[in-house]
Amino acid sequence: MAELKPDQAARRSPLYRRHQALNAQFEMVGDALLVSRYGDTSMEPRLAISLGLADLSTLPRTGFKGAGAPKWAASQSVQLPEQPNTAVTQPDGSLIAKLSHQELLIVSDVEAKSSLVTRLNQHKLPAATYSLPRADSHSWLAVTGLLAAEMFSKICGVDLRTHKFAQGQIAQTSVAKINAVIVRHDLGTTPCFYIFSDITSTEFLWDCLLDAMEEHQGVTIGVAAIRSLAAGE
Amino acid sequence: MKRLAAPYGSLIDREQPIQFNFENKSFQGFAGDSIASALAANDQWLLSRSFKYHRPRGALTMAGQDANTMVQLPSNPNALADRETISQGLAVMGQNYSGSLEHDRGSLLGLFSRFLPVGFYYKAFFKPRGMWEKWAPLIRKRAGLGIINQQLEPDYYDKQYKFYDVVVVGAGPSGLQAALTAALDGCEVLLVDENPSLGGSLNYARFDAEGTIGTEVRDQLVQEVTDNSNITCMTNAVVNAWFADNWLPIICGKRLYKVRAKQTILCTGALEQQAVFHNNDVPGIMMSSAAQRLIYLYAVRPGKTAVVVTGNNDGYANALDLLDAGVAVGAIVDLRDRPNASPLIKAAKKRGITIKTGCTVYGAKQYKNHLSAVEIRQIVSPGICADSGETINCDLLCMAVGYTPTYQLACQAGGQLSYDDKSAMFTLSNLPDGLQIAGSVNSHWDLEACLADGARAASIATNSLGLSQAEVPAPIAREKHSPNHSWPIFAHPKGKEFVDFDEDLTIADIVNATRDGYEHIQLVKRYSTCGMGPSQGRHSALAAARLVAAATNRTVAETGVTTARPPFAPEHLGHSAGRSFYPARRSSMHYRHLEAGAQMLQAGAWYRPAFYGEAADRDNCINREVRNVRNNVGLVDVSTLGGLEVRGPDAGEFLNRFYTFGFVKQPVGRARYALLTNEAGVVIDDGVACRFSDQHYYVTATTGGVDRVYQNMLKWNAQWRLDVDIANVTSAYCGVNIAGPKARQVLAKVCSDIDLSAQDFPYMGVREGTVAGIAARVIRVGFVGELGYEIHAPQQYGEALWDALISAGQPEKIQPFGIEAQRVLRLEKGHIIIGQDTDAMSNPMEVQMSWAVSRKKPFFVGGRTISELEKKSSSRSLVGFIINDRKAPIPKESHLVIDGEQMTGRVTSCHYSPTLGKPIGLAYVQPQSSDADRQIIIKADGGVLVTADLVPLPFYDPDTLRQEF
Repeated sequence: MAELKPDQAARRSPLYRRHQALNAQFEMVGDALLVSRYGDTSMEPRLAISLGLADLSTLPRTGFKGAGAPKWAASQSVQLPEQPNTAVTQPDGSLIAKLSHQELLIVSDVEAKSSLVTRLNQHKLPAATYSLPRADSHSWLAVTGLLAAEMFSKICGVDLRTHKFAQGQIAQTSVAKINAVIVRHDLGTTPCFYIFSDITSTEFLWDCLLDAMEEHQGVTIGVAAIRSLAAGE
Repeated sequence: MKRLAAPYGSLIDREQPIQFNFENKSFQGFAGDSIASALAANDQWLLSRSFKYHRPRGALTMAGQDANTMVQLPSNPNALADRETISQGLAVMGQNYSGSLEHDRGSLLGLFSRFLPVGFYYKAFFKPRGMWEKWAPLIRKRAGLGIINQQLEPDYYDKQYKFYDVVVVGAGPSGLQAALTAALDGCEVLLVDENPSLGGSLNYARFDAEGTIGTEVRDQLVQEVTDNSNITCMTNAVVNAWFADNWLPIICGKRLYKVRAKQTILCTGALEQQAVFHNNDVPGIMMSSAAQRLIYLYAVRPGKTAVVVTGNNDGYANALDLLDAGVAVGAIVDLRDRPNASPLIKAAKKRGITIKTGCTVYGAKQYKNHLSAVEIRQIVSPGICADSGETINCDLLCMAVGYTPTYQLACQAGGQLSYDDKSAMFTLSNLPDGLQIAGSVNSHWDLEACLADGARAASIATNSLGLSQAEVPAPIAREKHSPNHSWPIFAHPKGKEFVDFDEDLTIADIVNATRDGYEHIQLVKRYSTCGMGPSQGRHSALAAARLVAAATNRTVAETGVTTARPPFAPEHLGHSAGRSFYPARRSSMHYRHLEAGAQMLQAGAWYRPAFYGEAADRDNCINREVRNVRNNVGLVDVSTLGGLEVRGPDAGEFLNRFYTFGFVKQPVGRARYALLTNEAGVVIDDGVACRFSDQHYYVTATTGGVDRVYQNMLKWNAQWRLDVDIANVTSAYCGVNIAGPKARQVLAKVCSDIDLSAQDFPYMGVREGTVAGIAARVIRVGFVGELGYEIHAPQQYGEALWDALISAGQPEKIQPFGIEAQRVLRLEKGHIIIGQDTDAMSNPMEVQMSWAVSRKKPFFVGGRTISELEKKSSSRSLVGFIINDRKAPIPKESHLVIDGEQMTGRVTSCHYSPTLGKPIGLAYVQPQSSDADRQIIIKADGGVLVTADLVPLPFYDPDTLRQEF
């Protein structure tokens, strides 16, 4: 099988050069080219339980806002979070995050098996419902592991410790001075935080995260490790 | 190196000897030793020289609370020798001396001290006029302490947030008890102490005649605290300030912790104060607690023969400790006539120590920079001694005459510091909600009272948090006997009774400040500099307040103390500056620019290509890029342009109100220039509004202005309540502008679903389609004055889009061009850049943008002001100029336009035009100068006067044939 190269795809993560420099191997997940793993280490899943950082920026996601958005979304056979700043995992693994009373962020599952994002994007929107290009405006990073909250405390002023920041909780805050939406979305029993932030600042944020992780021996991880954590392996 | 036997020396590890240097001489200490303790163990007591008179100074507190121990380290000056621990090979030097530390030529200044009165600087250097300029270099040369190593690579400093229910500051007996009580009630507790180990005074102070209780209590409390999983202990950590809502900056190592506490309990203890007498600063004279620290923490015998001067019973405990450590005690000199009965006094008497009551140390003598004897005199009345006394030879004098609460954090929180004349002590009150104090900072001295007070403070905190409903114990009664003597201050005919060691201020200095008319304590501070040194008045505030009170016939309570501002302790600049975050934004084509040899510049957080080529060849690169756009085709990255979606039934109406032009009737598929003014009619941004459907506009904004435009849009719509949605999609879209006569030719190769013909896709048309298979919005614009298409595509496709266009344009000689070429191109076309050609006063008429203002619509932001401004004549106008003199220097932005001696305007843009072959520019001039046949004079670099001809705009393609090609 030919080696997958990120610069052969039209849609590229802003971090693909970073991944190549770390000797990443890539794989297709749905239509998205993602890092499968870095180098030839088989340790990633185990290290990710402690502290890992993954780039999921090429996976599908979208957003909707407007006074009509909640009602429209409710008619789309999905489970909506009741309160703003909470997220609900859908039966197909996708995630709906309620950022305000009138704004939703919908993200794919990490296997990109869910068709929810595509389905909603193709839908003709009713009055007072507006799409948001979240797949391109925001990068999508995942920080995994028991030390994630401790690492975050160096660059983010929100208390993300797992006994203070529940599964499905959202913080719209600043991480390393970058506006970010943080969603706690555990993988199996491993704490995991998704970070959605300005895509043009992704490299800066990535570097800040790696810098903050160094103290805790955090590692970059590919989707294979994410998969492993989600399966509870 | 002489050390006392264990268990003395709780902080040192005798198994780990460490070699270090002081003043280029080798010394040995143990791991855990501070520089000062290790030197003391080697009988090196002289550590530094004082700031003003270069007097010899040694350890005073052994707690990092004074400036006496400031030494020079390779990495930083002014390190506190009693705080910094030694490490292998560490090179330590003394500070502030000329010659050698032992023989400092600067100490001759002390002989002239009577010619250097308080306020000397104010008095001496301002007359005659102009003298300050002569004195300043000399004074500045002497000012400051230590040497900064400018070659040193800074260490890595960073920051971390922490969150706790309760933060307890100080891990002495009350702090330990408070932490434990709060934790047992279920609180997450952070216990912070500036010392290396928990226990505070329990580690070194003597609470009973036998000297056993302190250790017992400490061992039990520390064990319980460390066993409690709800408590996090942070040692060697300083809570350096209190900010609103219990926001506590804590410095520990090279990290600044930003801690949020729901409740804060200050158990910060008290600072022992010195007695004020002649030569009270000589090395060998120290606080009694400093001697105890040397003994218990470092196993160092602080002297051979000691005298203890005391105003309380702690002095007796100190004397017992000295005896136990093998120090001969010459006498306990008790300032009190009748000391209150205590087992400590009994024990001292029993051990045969000479006790002199109603006496004081009147003066000290030194030999070879160390204490050699003290003179003891009877106290006749407060501050007055008998005419003669006796001399006792000694090499150690311990002072135990009272304390001040460590009030700094409490006062920063708004606590009120009051003076109680009866106890001769400061007390704290009026603390804000969420802040408690306990222990000796709350004027409790008895160990049991401190423990009970700590538990009580914790109960209040946990009750406030709703974690406990237990009844809060009644306030603990204050002890009957105060440890503070009311007047341990004894003037001497020869002076040198130091009130402030940092600034070498004596009794006379403080009193004379009041006599010079500076009676308020804050003025005394500024005039005398008392309390302005590194220790920030820790040991001078009380004595100064007493002296000022007496000199101004007020009570100490009326006199007060100066404001205690953050930081509590000196902090490295690295703690504030270290690991700051400077966000950087990169377009998805960023690396293609680098690969093409771009010189990047930063515009706000964005990185943008300035030009492509060697920096040294800048002008040629820019000119080449300009010519290629004019003759062939160029490609510029415009991803940084702001992008705003304005959608909804009222989108047109919203833009109509927001921008100066009319938008309601704008046809779908067309773009329209959008000029934005504020309420004052000042031009603040511009862009184009592209109408993609009846209810959908895509509006661009300037790179630097988009955030403000977006905020303004939200603000206005909150008022207007129109049915419109506004979204900032700047980052979601990358963008390029393909411009030049061959632009259509190139674009056509990769864009098959949009008819690019001039008829079907005219200038200022907008289309949606695909470019190189990538969904795109295409806008025909003319910013650079050529046929051009802005292509906006989803950000993550940017690199592929760039590659496709560069590849397709090879036969047409497509080249990327940067921001600098774009600036020249637009200048040739006479287009302004908001922020460069406008300022905070520019209205549309001044910048020749009246054409972009609709007079037909009823309202737009700034419209009313603009209509009023239009009725008046302008005071300036932005005009174009050309410089025909080939030898003249090219003016720069902000160079002045002058008329004789008068400044009549300024240049906003100026550059050599490769197309016209001469420099062109824009400038504000007085309107009468804007006639096309007029000339202006520009004052260029070096004062060279350059004549420029005013010409009509644009400079290039006045009939706009090229952009509409």
